[in-house]
Amino acid sequence: MTDAPRTADASVELRPKLVGQRIRRTEDPRLLTGSGRYVDDIALPGMLHVAVRRSDQPHARILSIDVGDAFAIPGVVAIFDARDIAGDIRPAIPTSRMDGYYATPIRPLAQDKVRYTGEPVVAVVAESRYAAEDALDQIAIAYEPLPFAIRQVDAVEPGAPLLHEEAGSNVIIARQFQRGDVDAAIAAAPVTVRRRFRMTRKTPVPMENRSYLADWDKRKRALTLHTSSNIPGIVRDVLADCLDLPGNRLRVVAPDVGGSFGGKGSLNHEEMLVCVLAKKLERPVKFTADRMEDLTAMSQAFDELIDAELAVDAEGRLIGLRADVIGDIGAYSVYPWTGALEPVQVVSFLPGPYRMQHYRGRVRGVLTPKPPTGPYRGVGRPSSTFAMERLIDMAARKLGLDPAEMRRRNLVTAEEFPYRTGSGIIWDKSAFQECLEGACADYPALVKARDAARAEGRWVGIGLASYAELTGIGSRIAVAPGMPINTGTETAAIRIDATGAVTAAFGISSHGQGLETTLAQIVADELGCRFEDVEILHGDSALVPMGTGTYASRSAVLGGGAATKSARVVKTKVLKAAAHLMDVPMEELEAGNGLIRARSSNATMTFKEVARAVYSQMGRIPYDQREDLVAEETYDPYLGTACASTHLAMVEVDRDTFGVTVTHFVVAEDCGRIINPLIVEGQVHGAVAQGIGAALLEEVVHDETGQLLTASLADYLVPVATNMPDIGIVHIEADLPNNLGGFRGMGEGGTIGAPAAIANAISDALSPLGIEIDTLPATPERLFRLVEAAQAGMAQDKPAG
Amino acid sequence: MKPARFDYVRAETVAHAGEILAAAGGDGKVLAGGQSLMPMINFRLVKPTVLVDINHIAGLDTIALDGGRLRLGALVRHRMTAEDGLVKAHVPVLHHAMKHVAHLTVRNRGTFCGSVCHADPAAEMPMMTLLLDGLMHTASSRGTRAVAARDFFVGSLVTALEPHEMVTAIEIDALPPGAGWGFEEFARRHGDYALASVAVVLERQGGHARNVRVATMGVGEMPARMDTVEAALEGSAMDDRALDGAVDLLRAAVAPNSDLNASADYRRHLVGALARRALADAWSRATETAQ
Amino acid sequence: MSARAEITVTVNGIAYTRAVDPRLLLSDFLRQEIGLTGTHVGCEHGVCGACTILLDGRSARSCLLLAVQLDGAAIETVESLGAMDRLGRVQEAFRAHHALQCGFCTPGFLMTITDMLRHHPLESDAEIREALSGNVCRCTGYEHIVNAVRELARERGPLK
Repeated sequence: MTDAPRTADASVELRPKLVGQRIRRTEDPRLLTGSGRYVDDIALPGMLHVAVRRSDQPHARILSIDVGDAFAIPGVVAIFDARDIAGDIRPAIPTSRMDGYYATPIRPLAQDKVRYTGEPVVAVVAESRYAAEDALDQIAIAYEPLPFAIRQVDAVEPGAPLLHEEAGSNVIIARQFQRGDVDAAIAAAPVTVRRRFRMTRKTPVPMENRSYLADWDKRKRALTLHTSSNIPGIVRDVLADCLDLPGNRLRVVAPDVGGSFGGKGSLNHEEMLVCVLAKKLERPVKFTADRMEDLTAMSQAFDELIDAELAVDAEGRLIGLRADVIGDIGAYSVYPWTGALEPVQVVSFLPGPYRMQHYRGRVRGVLTPKPPTGPYRGVGRPSSTFAMERLIDMAARKLGLDPAEMRRRNLVTAEEFPYRTGSGIIWDKSAFQECLEGACADYPALVKARDAARAEGRWVGIGLASYAELTGIGSRIAVAPGMPINTGTETAAIRIDATGAVTAAFGISSHGQGLETTLAQIVADELGCRFEDVEILHGDSALVPMGTGTYASRSAVLGGGAATKSARVVKTKVLKAAAHLMDVPMEELEAGNGLIRARSSNATMTFKEVARAVYSQMGRIPYDQREDLVAEETYDPYLGTACASTHLAMVEVDRDTFGVTVTHFVVAEDCGRIINPLIVEGQVHGAVAQGIGAALLEEVVHDETGQLLTASLADYLVPVATNMPDIGIVHIEADLPNNLGGFRGMGEGGTIGAPAAIANAISDALSPLGIEIDTLPATPERLFRLVEAAQAGMAQDKPAG
Repeated sequence: MKPARFDYVRAETVAHAGEILAAAGGDGKVLAGGQSLMPMINFRLVKPTVLVDINHIAGLDTIALDGGRLRLGALVRHRMTAEDGLVKAHVPVLHHAMKHVAHLTVRNRGTFCGSVCHADPAAEMPMMTLLLDGLMHTASSRGTRAVAARDFFVGSLVTALEPHEMVTAIEIDALPPGAGWGFEEFARRHGDYALASVAVVLERQGGHARNVRVATMGVGEMPARMDTVEAALEGSAMDDRALDGAVDLLRAAVAPNSDLNASADYRRHLVGALARRALADAWSRATETAQ
Repeated sequence: MSARAEITVTVNGIAYTRAVDPRLLLSDFLRQEIGLTGTHVGCEHGVCGACTILLDGRSARSCLLLAVQLDGAAIETVESLGAMDRLGRVQEAFRAHHALQCGFCTPGFLMTITDMLRHHPLESDAEIREALSGNVCRCTGYEHIVNAVRELARERGPLK
C-alpha cells in the first residue's frame, strides 16, 4: 500500500531543482507589511464580541448565576450560561479504544460543575469587548466548593476526590509497554542509576492569542468559523457532529495563524461557543482571548513525574530500563488527542535511540483541577528525553566514562536498522551515530575549555542529548490509539486553470512553517511549472474532502508526498496535451520552469499555451482525449520515519547568582532531504529557544488552592533575545527515508533535545558538588537549594577535626 | 483585558492637574509615561474615575544641576536619564543603573518620577532615589511640599504621596568628584524586575571609606538603605574582612519575601553576593580625595 | 459616564479625526477605528512588544497608550514601512534572513528596529540583543532577527 520509494531521479535535469534551495518565503511580503489576515483582523458587519466569565474555583458546584445589572450596560446584547445553550450543541467526546479510559465530554460552558480555575462559565455578548468586560464585572456566581487534589501524586490515590464522578477514578489512562524481563536485568546489572524526574507544566504561548469568529448565513443555513487553529479540518468534522450540520454547510477556515506550538491544536471551548452564539443570535460573533485567558486556559503541556531506573553493564552498554510515569493531564481529556497524547508518548519514547533489550514503562494519566494538557511542540519526547539522557549521563559518571563515548556505544548503528525499541517503536533508519559525531566536532576543544574554567573554580559544563522521533506518520500508526480521526493521510488537489495558473490545495494548515513556500517548491519541481505560478491553498476545510491540519511534524512529509503524487498526475496530462499540440511523442517532452520542450526539435510551448488550448481552444485536442489539467491524490506514508538529532550545550552557572548562561549550542540533525535550508534552520532555532525556555525559565505554577500564579507574561517567562546563544547547526543528510520525496519531519526536534542537553550541562558544571539535575526548569532558586544541600552534605561528610 | 471606564483630562498646568485631582476626591490618577499604570488599568486592578494626563505640561521634562543636586522633572523619560550628560558626569551610578531599566521601548515613555511614585519594590528608580538622598517635590491644590525619600516609601506600591498630590520633580545628590560607585542587579531575564539589586556609593580618603551609602531592592516590601552596613563600613579599609562583615550585616538586615521566582533564603544569599560585588566595584572606582 | 472626546491623530502621514471613548487603547484605535490591523495585540500589559508603534518618532507600546492622549500626535505603524511589491529596507532584510515565521510579532519587531536604527549605536551583537529584548518572538529563536539587524546596522557603519 505504500508508495514506491523515490529512487535517484533518472529524468534529465534541465535546471537546478527548487527543493534544496534557500528560497525566500512567499508568505513574507504580506506578513511584513501588516497585510496578514489573522482572525482578529477580520471584522464583519454587525459583528458582536464575546467576553467570558471564568471559574475562580478549581472544583466547585455552580449553585446560581446572577447577572445583576449587566444588561443595563450599554452595548450588552445577551448573556448565556450552559443551561441556555444545552439544546443547541452536543458535547465533543474525545473517544479512544484504550482499556479503562474515560472520555470527558467537552462543552462550550461549564455545566453544573467547574473543574479548573479559568474554565468558561458565562458568556457575555456585546457590541464591543469593552462593554462585554464591563458586564463581566456585574455577574455574581455562587459556588459550593468541592474537595480536590491539586497534585498528581495525591490525585492518583484511591480515596482522592473525584473530578469526574462518572469516570469512577481520577486515573483515566493506564498503559504499559514491556519487553524482556527488566526486573531480573536490573537485579543482575553491575551498575544501576535511578531518579525521579519532573518536567513541570508549560504553556505554549503562541504570540497570537486564540481568536474565533463564527458567521451564520441564515440564507444558506450555513456556518463559517474563522479560527486560529492548526487543525481546521478536525474542528470542522467534530463541530459538524456537535451542531448537526453537514460538511457542505460548515466551513472552518484558519487564515494567517500566529503560531500554535500545540496550543491551537485541540478543540477549544470557545470555538464551540461562538458557533452556537452566532447561530442563535444570527449575527457574526467573535471571541478573542486576551493573554491572561490564554495563559490561564489554553491547553498546557508536560507535567510528568518520571520514576526511572537504568541498568548498564561494566562497559556502559545499556541492559534495561524501567519507568513509572504519572502524567498530570488536567481537568479534561482534549479533543481529539485525548489526555493520553502526552504521557503515553513519554513511555513509548523513553528507550530513546538506543540498543537495549529490557524495558518496562508504565504510565498513568490522572485528572487534576487544572487546564487540560494537550499537544505541545515535541509531545512527550521533551520529558522522555530529559529523563533518559540524564540517566545516560548519570551512568556514565558512575562508570567514569565520557558521555559522548557512552552514547557512541549505545546508539543504534546503521547495520541494525530497522530497529525495534523496547516499547515497540520501529526506527526505520536515520543518522543516529552521525548526528552524535556531527554535534561533537568541537567536543575535545570544548572539554579543554571547560576543564580550564573548572580549574579556576568556575561552574562550566557540557551536556549532550541524543534522541529520535517518529515523524510524517502514516495510517498504520495513530498518534494515539482509537482516536476518532485519521492523521495518516494527506490530500493535494492540484489544478492548472484556463489561464495557466497552478493552484494546489491541501488539508494542512501552515502557521509559521512556511508551507506556502516549501510545498510550492515541490509542486514546481514535480510539475515543471514556474515557482511564481503556484498558489498554495491551505487552512480551509472546504479545500479537500478530508483534511486535518499541521501538527506532529507531518506536513512536509505528508503534504509534500501528496503534492508530488498529484503533480505527477497533472504533469502527465499536460505532457499528453502538449504531445498532441506539438505533434511529438510524449516521451520526447520534458517540462521545466513553465516550458514544455521537445528534446528532438527544441520546440517549446508554455504551460499557459497548453492550458489555453486545453480549456479554451475547442478542437485543438481531440474531444475524446481532452482532459482537465487537474488531479487530487492522497498520500499515505503508512508507517512513519525516524528523525534523529544530537544536541550539545555548554553552560556556565554563576556562583553568586545561580543564573545559567548558555554559552554554546550545537544541533546536528538528520531531517532527510532538505526542502529549504532557510526554513529548516529557522525551525531549529525556534524549537531550541523553546527548549531553553523549558530548561531554564518556563513553568506554569498553580498553588495549593488551585489558583494560577503565572497569569501574565511578567510571571510566565519565555526566552528573549538575550537568553539565546548563537546556535550551530550541522545538517546530516544521510540515507533518505523510504517515503515519497525523502523528507523527514523536523519542526519539533529542538524542543526535544535542548532541555535534556542543558540539564546534562548544568549537572556537569555542578559535578564537583555531585549534583544531578532532576527537575526543570533549573531556576536560580532550585540551583541554590541543590548547592546548599550539597555543600551541607559535604560539610557533614568531612571527618571531624 | 480592557480598561474600565474613566474620564480623561489633559492638564495644562500643574495647578490644573491639582484641581482635577482634588475634584476626583482620591479616585484620580496621574498619567505620565503610563508604563506601570496602564498595565494595571488594563487588568482592571486600578479603576480611576479620572486620568490626569500631565504629558503636556510645559517645563517638566528637564534635568538640571543646582547646588550639588540634580533635579529631574516629572516628564523626564528613562531614555533621557540614560542619555543625559549631567547624569553621566555627576551621578554615574544612575547612568549605569538605567541599563537595567526595562527595555528600549519602555524607556522611551516611562518616567523617572513615575517609577518612583509607582514604588515597585523591585524597580531601580525608587532604590536610586533612596541611595541618593532624594527629595520628592509634590504639588496639589493645597500647595507644595517636599518629602524625603526615606519618608516616601511606605510599602510595596505604597508611598506617602496623597491621592490629590502629584510629584513635580525629584532632587537627588550629585556625587562628589572621585566618589566610587557600584551597581549590581540580578533578574531572570534582561530588563525584568530584579530578584535583587544593590547600589553603593562611597568616597575614599586616606585609604578609608567615607560617606558610604548602600541601598537594596527586591529584598523587602520596599527599597531600603542599609544603615548598619553603612555604619560598619564607614572608615573601614574595605578589605576582605570588612566586606565579609558588611555582607553578613546586610543579610541580617534584609527581610525578603518568598514568591514565585525566589525564596527569602535565596534572595538573602543573592543580595549579599551582589553587595559584595557592588562594594568592591565602588571601592575600586573611588579615587583618593583630600579630607 | 465618560464622554467621548474628539481627537485628531496623524497616522502614517494621514490625519484622522474621531470621537473616542477615553479608555480606548491606541492599539484598538488603530485596528478597529481606522482599520490598520498590521499592529498586533499580544498581551495588553506591555511585555510582548507585538503592538509596538512609533510615537513622534520613538517606539512605544500601543497597548499602554490611550487614543485620547494622542490628540495632535504623529504615529507610524508597520503599514508605513513599505508595500508588498516594494518592501522597505528593514522588511527586505527580514525576508532575506528569514527573520519571521508566523509573522505575528513581526510588526512590533520592525517598529522597534526602526527606532533602534534611527537612534541607537548597535555596535555589537550584545547591544543588538539587548535592544531587541523587549520584544518576544516564539518562532525564530531570535538568531535570524539578530542577523538581519546586524546587516542593517553595518549599512550605517562598521560594528565593533
